[in-house]
Amino acid sequence: MSIEGDLLHVVTPDDLSPKRVAFGRAIIWGSAAALALVALAQTMQVAGQLDLGFTTWRPTLYAYILWAVALCWGQVLTRGEQGKRVLFVLPAALFVVSLVVFPLLFGLLIAFSDWNLSSPTGRKFNGLGNVRQMWGDPFYWNALANMVWYSLAIIVEYAIAFGLALLLNAQIRGRKFFRVAFLMPLMLSPVAVSWMIGKSMMEIRFGPLARLARALGWDNPSFFGSAEVARATIMMMDSWTYIPFMMIMILAGLQAIPRELQEAARVDGASAWRGFWEVTFPLMLPVSITAILIRLIFKLKLADIIINVTSGGPGGATDSVTSFIFREYRDRSNVGYGTLLAMVYLVLIVIAMTILMKLAERWTRPR
Amino acid sequence: MKVELYNHVVRSGLTRRRLMQGAASIGSLAAMGGLGLSRSALAQDDVRAAILAIPGVGAGSPTDADWQKVGEMTLAATRANVAEGEFAGVELTFMGLNNQNLHNFLFRGFLKPWEAYTGAKINWIDLAQADYNPRLQQAIATGTVDFDIIEMGAPFEGDTASKGLLDEMPDWVKAQIDMDDYVGYLKAPVGTWAGKTYRISIDGDCHTFAYRKDYLSDAAISAATGMTEAPTTWQQVQAFSNAVKGQKDPLTGLDAYGFLDPLKGWGGFGFYFLEDRASAYAKHPDDPAWLFDPDTMKPRVNNPAWVQAIQDVMDTMPVLPPDQINADPGTTAFQQFLAGTGAMICWWGDVGSMARTSDSSVVGDVVGFSINPGSDKVYNTKTAAWETPATPNFAPNMAYLGWGVYVTNRVSGDEKKRKAAWSAAAHLGGKDLSLWMAAYPSGFQPYRNSHFNFDEWQAAGYDRAFVEDYLGSNADSYNHPNAAIEPRIPGIFQYYSVAEDELAKGFGGTYKSAQETADAIAAAWEKITDQIGRDSQIALYKASLGM
Repeated sequence: MSIEGDLLHVVTPDDLSPKRVAFGRAIIWGSAAALALVALAQTMQVAGQLDLGFTTWRPTLYAYILWAVALCWGQVLTRGEQGKRVLFVLPAALFVVSLVVFPLLFGLLIAFSDWNLSSPTGRKFNGLGNVRQMWGDPFYWNALANMVWYSLAIIVEYAIAFGLALLLNAQIRGRKFFRVAFLMPLMLSPVAVSWMIGKSMMEIRFGPLARLARALGWDNPSFFGSAEVARATIMMMDSWTYIPFMMIMILAGLQAIPRELQEAARVDGASAWRGFWEVTFPLMLPVSITAILIRLIFKLKLADIIINVTSGGPGGATDSVTSFIFREYRDRSNVGYGTLLAMVYLVLIVIAMTILMKLAERWTRPR
Repeated sequence: MKVELYNHVVRSGLTRRRLMQGAASIGSLAAMGGLGLSRSALAQDDVRAAILAIPGVGAGSPTDADWQKVGEMTLAATRANVAEGEFAGVELTFMGLNNQNLHNFLFRGFLKPWEAYTGAKINWIDLAQADYNPRLQQAIATGTVDFDIIEMGAPFEGDTASKGLLDEMPDWVKAQIDMDDYVGYLKAPVGTWAGKTYRISIDGDCHTFAYRKDYLSDAAISAATGMTEAPTTWQQVQAFSNAVKGQKDPLTGLDAYGFLDPLKGWGGFGFYFLEDRASAYAKHPDDPAWLFDPDTMKPRVNNPAWVQAIQDVMDTMPVLPPDQINADPGTTAFQQFLAGTGAMICWWGDVGSMARTSDSSVVGDVVGFSINPGSDKVYNTKTAAWETPATPNFAPNMAYLGWGVYVTNRVSGDEKKRKAAWSAAAHLGGKDLSLWMAAYPSGFQPYRNSHFNFDEWQAAGYDRAFVEDYLGSNADSYNHPNAAIEPRIPGIFQYYSVAEDELAKGFGGTYKSAQETADAIAAAWEKITDQIGRDSQIALYKASLGM
């Protein structure tokens, strides 16, 4: 047994013969070459320069799997125990690459293509054509502007959720009942919410909410008749579903705050408001930021309620980016343009989320 | 027949006594040999009467055993063209729908005796309605068509026949299914491309005009509108809708409304409802085209005829029910018209059948039907001028052309397989079998002239008045000489879908006028045409119009 090297972390000594290392390298590079050759051959067949009788891309897939196995095995052969450690991560990394990175690359290829499924010529690369179309597309910009409004509504949702969480954290009667009751909307599918509330309860003749509105003096209640009211109604239905989610996160945070802190503040003469604003709220910032960020991610996907209730109307007032892409993609089979819109949206989301997380980090850093 | 319609018939009018009467009359029809009919015609009548007795109107919903029995009894046409065991070893794949456990479920039963006789085997791909279009489009776009026979709507012929994906119908099939029996609008050019026939129809579809008769007999309303007869032109409909404002609905006592326009999109299907108005103005009897110019694919949607239709809708908005901006066609039909709001609507046959059959309908006893309204004036694109014909111009909207069965080109290279595929398709589209599908729950509507022989329905046990009412307006629309036929070009629903978006902006006030709205639709349509390929669209549009 070797008595040199990293004795703390190495379990078995590696005695790697040059032959073994060479074999390891050979299978890695050999399988990589095979993968490259098969992929090249298939690409050339698609381009019409060669005909090897391939009917699907499976040979390339099999070559990729072979290369992945050889790469993993080669790590052990060439690096011994270090290689075995790599094996804990490498298969997962390769899996992620296959399922995320490759589709993303193919997605980018489609995003820069003119591809309408009904076109007899199929997919055609069109460079920045889709970007130019997007630049001049009032429907997309309108949907993006709507998303800003929808996202801003999270501030109000957060305030309500915080208030509810404070109430449920207090010693009130039937606390457990209220906790479950307030969670109920979260358990409903947004599609069910669309039909139950948007289409049934808000039905303008017989819907109970319309009747209530009439009883309260609104002669001709219309929840989706004008742009502003429709947008507000969509916001409310969406909020009703997801406020419980924020509420439950904040409640968990509130329960984690030691009671002694509030008691100490009270002993120091803090009022209820100061106790909240100077003690509870700052302590809740990390949880709050997390809740808001996750809520924002949910919000950016908002589509189902809109598709079911208003189809983006009236006149695009309630359209979200996702509901617009849904129409562009599903109803109009405009795969290339729809993919580009989704990609641009992804980039915008990544940028916005990065900025927000940086800001959140700064806000939550102890002063 | 639609399920709900059949259920209604069973639930309401049909007693055991009546069922016995029906059975007796079928028996007597079969027994009577002295009507001067030829032996074969008589044998066919026997079959028709006999299959209509399976399971018997009022004897419960048909089951798989019934479907198989009907399939067996209607196999004579197949026997005449195919030898027993001729297709042994042939395997076919059939792609269709599984809506309401009908469609493919029936086809399986009907084709079981066919499989036993011919020796062929059929594998099934069942799809939900919502999955159908994406599945089909992706199969086409990625070159992975994996079915030999497909149940498909005629609007998709542009996406399939135009790309050479379908197999041309052999002449023996045309004879076997008696294509001359099809109602007018389902005859060529529908089902054909560039002179070749591809479709075996199994269904029919069109919009008809439904109106409330009590709005015409109510003293106060008639005093306000001056009308006691149903309006027959859009000009009259407009006048009625404006005049009825302020009156009370005779049934519900709530505010009365005239014609119900759906102002919200419906995944492309909402555009059919603007077409209902526009076809009367835009479909000139001398010109088969009415949506695009066939030589240039320039949209006609912003010509004066279409702008008039959009303007009509805009003019009527102040007298529509509140929140109509958020009403799609489903709302106008099922939540408004059938529930007692509004006096008139254009819709598919469902409204006609559900008016009497749906539990939520309150208008069953007061509803009347006719073909879509016409117009006092019609626009002639050749002269770019309005014309005023001696009688109003009618152009019923053949919205969505019904389901058909098609054979794909996967079988074209193998004559045995090809014959097997066409034989299976022809069995499903057979004349006698189709009568059974029209009379029992199948999801399909009548589509042959022989389906409108009310004696057969009466003999089977149906209430004659009910059947005549239900079928009459459909028959008149189907056979209208100036029917507005849907263009079967690739991506037709893309055009409809984008038009819905622009119309929503027009109705929502984003655009200043009907003309501006129509121009926006035309611009969006031009983009789609350019994207799909103008030259190919022109060629395909002409082919679809039979030009």
